[in-house]
Amino acid sequence: MNYPVWNLTTFGGGFLIAFVAVVHVLVSHFAVGGGAYLVMLEKKAYRDENLKLLDYVKKHSKFFLLLTMVFGGLTGVGIWWTIALLNPAATSSLIHIFVFGWAAEWVFFVGEIVALFIYFYTFGKMDRKNHIIIGWIYFFCAWMSLFLINGIIDFMLTPGAWIENQNFWSGFFNPTFWPSLVFRTGLSLVLCGVFGFVTAAFLKDEKLRHSIMRTCAAWVAIPFVLMLIGGWWYSIALPEGPKAMMMGKSPEMGIYLQTLLWFLPLLFIASMVMAIRLPQSFQKGFCFAVVAIALIYFGAFEFIREGSRRPFIIYDHMYSNQVYVKDVPEVQKAGFLPTAKWTQHKEITDENLIDAGRDLFKFQCSACHSVNGPLNNIVPIVQKYDNVFGMDAMLNGLGKINDYMPHFMGTREERWALANYIVHGPDIRSTKEITPQHVAHETPAH
Amino acid sequence: MNPATLIPTPDAIPVPWGWFYVLLMLTFLLHILVMNAMLGGGIISLISALRGGEQNILLGKEFSYKWPYTIAFAVNMGVAPLLFVQVLYGQFIYSSSILMAVWWFSIIGLLILAYYAAYLYDFKFDALGGLRIFVLEFAVLIMLLIAFFFTNNMTLMLQPDQWQAYFSNASGTLLNFSDPSLIPRYFHFVVGAVAVAGLYLALIGQFRFTKSKVDREALIDKGMRYFTVASGIQILLGIWFLLALPKEIMMLFMGRSGYGTILLLLGLILAGVALYFGYKKQVVNASIATLVLLTVMILMRDLVRIAYLEPYFKVADLTVRPEYSPMIFFLVVFVAGLALIAYMLKLAFGCRKEVTK
Ligand code: HEC
Repeated sequence: MNYPVWNLTTFGGGFLIAFVAVVHVLVSHFAVGGGAYLVMLEKKAYRDENLKLLDYVKKHSKFFLLLTMVFGGLTGVGIWWTIALLNPAATSSLIHIFVFGWAAEWVFFVGEIVALFIYFYTFGKMDRKNHIIIGWIYFFCAWMSLFLINGIIDFMLTPGAWIENQNFWSGFFNPTFWPSLVFRTGLSLVLCGVFGFVTAAFLKDEKLRHSIMRTCAAWVAIPFVLMLIGGWWYSIALPEGPKAMMMGKSPEMGIYLQTLLWFLPLLFIASMVMAIRLPQSFQKGFCFAVVAIALIYFGAFEFIREGSRRPFIIYDHMYSNQVYVKDVPEVQKAGFLPTAKWTQHKEITDENLIDAGRDLFKFQCSACHSVNGPLNNIVPIVQKYDNVFGMDAMLNGLGKINDYMPHFMGTREERWALANYIVHGPDIRSTKEITPQHVAHETPAH
Repeated sequence: MNPATLIPTPDAIPVPWGWFYVLLMLTFLLHILVMNAMLGGGIISLISALRGGEQNILLGKEFSYKWPYTIAFAVNMGVAPLLFVQVLYGQFIYSSSILMAVWWFSIIGLLILAYYAAYLYDFKFDALGGLRIFVLEFAVLIMLLIAFFFTNNMTLMLQPDQWQAYFSNASGTLLNFSDPSLIPRYFHFVVGAVAVAGLYLALIGQFRFTKSKVDREALIDKGMRYFTVASGIQILLGIWFLLALPKEIMMLFMGRSGYGTILLLLGLILAGVALYFGYKKQVVNASIATLVLLTVMILMRDLVRIAYLEPYFKVADLTVRPEYSPMIFFLVVFVAGLALIAYMLKLAFGCRKEVTK
């Protein structure tokens, strides 16, 4: 409505954000739990006076620094970058509602970086007790980052009482805040074990390697329970709307649910395999398989969480196509094209029917549908509509039966233009020949 | 078409705009300082590497230890002003970002590459041998490119009259080349970065933060030379930049606005003072003068932004829907965070001397 839409076609339908987010969430959760992992192992090394273990912790901290600070930190900024490009209206809402939440998160981000650099560069040079303190400060700051971001992310799915009272704290401590926090905390600890396998697999000392593998397996197994409890609580805390969407009302959800259900136990089993005394050559390869399993598992979870928000970007507040819920009556009356600021065609004429339809598609559908791209491709799913009347009727029903989509927003003429674009437009119907007569042949039925 | 019709409706803010303004100026100053050390330091290392010679190589090595964390903090300190600029000017910056979305999006990937290159340069400085210079060139070029994208977006967001280009190209590949102030503005930032980084290196020498075998005196000497030469060029670039601005905006600094004129005069005087101290190799004095100068420059930059947007928008127009408790929460966290960081730094510096088991 308010903002231009970046014309992505192939990479539309949320592909870019999925791409950035899936890699980021894995590393960022690891960044939280990893702090605790480092400190606990460091303490153990001091207690047992185990210099080899201490050496491992130091090496792992370098891996940790390079992975979380560089990749994790920058992809985190990247998510923000990406959503501002893909959904500026929602980004602006989140920024303005939670500006001081973000600002506080930034303070912890600074603390995290300072602590991690000090931890890494003073390893073995600082008094042991103090070094451990720095490690704990790192963990605390990282977890507080999680705490704050968690509130804002959950707000999008379950804004709760905020919808009525617009109060910061109601939005922040929303109905899924606590269960999600438990789930994510559990997950972040599980991931320490997962990434611990990777660094441990390359240790030459066999005894040390097996002992760390077992420690890592425990780091997966024990917080796994926490994660499951959090997940279960989360599913209970979800309101009806998102829950129904999650349980498969939205057709592409099935595959993600299946993936989740398979990969959750798989992650557990694969991690336990790492605890068995196996040849190093096997462990060197298999540790990456465990990371991949974790990535797929968590990716599926994130897809489901995102998908269950449909047709909204901020539940009950803003639709995925950046239209505020409160603005809908106005749009229906005055029309979408004249009310949206960045549409090129404000009025529909016989000449611009297809182009106006393209505009409508870009603004109302491209957030979820790519054109010939990997995510939710529009082309195959509209093949069955071979005339404009059928398409128009479908659009009329859009969002009613298939309520994972917003209903069509705009006047009947606009709907007709969109139907024409989908059926005859060159982008979607590249195979079908279009002639001017063909278009003129079908006239709106009003 | 009237460009004003394209400007999105802004969202309400929770406290009066002045709070965000102060936070924006403050955090932007921090960001600029660290960003300059990062970018300028890279450029100076590259020039030194190309010139060769023992002290030049050691300078590069000294900077290699510092580079990764200047990058980390440049990014980190950049997050805050980016947040506050979105709060005050979101409707402009989101729009312009989308017009140049491909370039803007690429920044993340580019930065990851530059960052890993900087770590490679640091951890493998000696092992890299002849390849070192390529790694350095790679990282510096990427950073220069990122800076260029930033300059584009920061100017494009101010010019809604350029936004209609979207209707002939919505694929996110636009840049703001038609703006005559784009190039001088870009160079003004890049050369400024070299000057500040020169000071940064001199300060490292002055306060004995060196880690390599570089000669401290030589480091100070070289740092101050870069500072002085770059500052001299910077004055000329600044004049070019000023002349390239639209006439009404330029005139703000030449009599049309008392505040603007005073800022420009102050800037010129401070630049002269900083140059003098630079020439005399007085590191601390030059740093203080530069810090004040940068503050003046940032206020001038902001005045330019206000002037560009004047036909369309004033921050005072933003609706305030008062809610103070989140801000109080933030301020408490902020103070506690500063204390925590001070405590950690105390521990870190405490162990610089002591040798522990
Ligand atoms: C909130 C995201 C979202 C938006 C916005 C959206 N869709 Fe969909 N749409 C979906 C999902 C999810 C599916 C299911 C895809 C599948 O079946 O795999 C879908 C399916 C469809 C289908 C096939 C439905 C069927 O029952 O065969 C059509 C046709 C369609 N969308 C058209 C549109 C049009 C036209 C628009 C713009 C007015 C639009 N969609 C906007 C998410 C969205």
